[in-house]
Amino acid sequence: MNALTQPVAVVQSLAGSQHDLHHARNLLETTLAFVRQQPNITKDPYVISRFGDVQIRIEVAAALLERAEGLLDRHEEATEISVAVAESDLASAEALATASNAEFELTGRRTALPGSLHDPLRWKLHLIGNFRLNGIHPPSVHPSAKEAV
Amino acid sequence: MTASAQPPRTAHVIRSDAEAIAVAHKLAARFAVEASERDRERRLPVAELDEFSASGLWGITVPKAYGGAGVSYVTVAEVIKIISAADSSLGQIPQNHLGVLDILLQTASEEQKRYYFAKVLQGYRFGNAFSESKSKNAGAFETRIRFDGDTAQIDGEKFYCTGALFAHIVPAVAVNEQNQAFIAFIERDNPGLSVIDSWDGFGQRTTASGGVTLNAVKVPLSAVIPAHKAFDEPTADGPISQIIQAAVDTGIAVGALEDTKRYARESRPWIDSGHEHGWQDPFSIAAIGDLEWRVHGTEAILRKAGQAIDAALLDANEDTVAHASVVVAQAKVLSAEIALLASSKLFELAGTRSVLGKYNLDRHWRNARTHTLHDPARWKYHLIGNHLLNGVKPARHAWN
Repeated sequence: MNALTQPVAVVQSLAGSQHDLHHARNLLETTLAFVRQQPNITKDPYVISRFGDVQIRIEVAAALLERAEGLLDRHEEATEISVAVAESDLASAEALATASNAEFELTGRRTALPGSLHDPLRWKLHLIGNFRLNGIHPPSVHPSAKEAV
Repeated sequence: MTASAQPPRTAHVIRSDAEAIAVAHKLAARFAVEASERDRERRLPVAELDEFSASGLWGITVPKAYGGAGVSYVTVAEVIKIISAADSSLGQIPQNHLGVLDILLQTASEEQKRYYFAKVLQGYRFGNAFSESKSKNAGAFETRIRFDGDTAQIDGEKFYCTGALFAHIVPAVAVNEQNQAFIAFIERDNPGLSVIDSWDGFGQRTTASGGVTLNAVKVPLSAVIPAHKAFDEPTADGPISQIIQAAVDTGIAVGALEDTKRYARESRPWIDSGHEHGWQDPFSIAAIGDLEWRVHGTEAILRKAGQAIDAALLDANEDTVAHASVVVAQAKVLSAEIALLASSKLFELAGTRSVLGKYNLDRHWRNARTHTLHDPARWKYHLIGNHLLNGVKPARHAWN
């Protein structure tokens, strides 16, 4: 395995990203509802800013999802789409991880999340970096690869 | 430099958002050439600023009704980002000029608007004498304005006066007996106005963000506007000030990432990597991928912030202004985070040789660290969270 090989399924579907973002928003809502039931806690500056952080990560994910959707709708160049989809996936995954950590920290509960062993984020970083740093396009695009996920 | 109350030539008038972006790209390419030398020698960008304002970019927010292009704030942020990616000092210098244009729009009389907007379209630059280093906090002012017949007198001492040294007109904030803030437009050659080139910060080195003293400065009443009204009522002025800060920091991130890729390409391969070239390093590749998506995410939120400001300008009320503040705060947190991250990762990925003085690559980090201190990101998390959790609207001032 070297810089020219990329064992990542190149996808042009945003289903994974949409799923993670939706999940992140749900976790944020349930965590907000839990915290709002404890009146003394809602004025805690650290709890307040914790929610600020979660919302920022969710908004970034939403903005990058929208951007990738735009590229798909306009039928932009295949590699640009793959890179934008990978960026959207990474942002959604970070939003979900941030929301999940906040849920655990503030409520003591943790909603189980699906694993990502077969759709690893680390290779999405590689896909983006290899194109932007080295101009190396990802292997041929398989539009249907993500449909089964 | 000599103080002049007039620009050396009449500015071009930009007609559209697209023209503004195109002009910014052209200027940025030229500004990038000597940005490092200017920083290293702390050579103030006098000729560059004349070119910058003569391009018409300092007048793009003048409304169409007054002869300008009235561009969207998505475009304003993009222009400042593009210039800042080339030279973030040049990107920061128009910051208060643009803020003052909105305060004029919100609080000046019709006659004042016509007069000052026409000046700006001709190429006049506003500086600022707003902040004070000795007052209790950023929003407190000790500089006084006293009204006497048809003149006003201003006395006080200012600091962080970015742009004042290069300005033709220096707008100064002063408070009356009731602690209401006014802005007086003081011509650069007014005998009571002294601009001191005392800025020696380690970043944003050529912004000349030094001091101003106001010693019995007299101006006609026609040169004074009731600036406090921009915050007594809900207006987009706070978010407008803030989006320009976020755009400067986003630009620093973009410039730092470009240099990161350039120098990381040339780095030696690590001994354990088994590769021939540094650019094949799988960890460097992934680290670039991480910076890329974070820069793009920040740019996407910066655009959302511009759209939220445009909506608040169209229909200013408690809710639209609060929404603009919240989205701009998101852009502020993200841009500060990525500017610092990218400018630090640069060295990690390019290796030890990249710290050599001849490259001056530390300017990106010095600029990021300095400019992101304008107001603390830690309170933006709080602002955003308090709005979300408790429905508390952000306080209205120039830092929200």
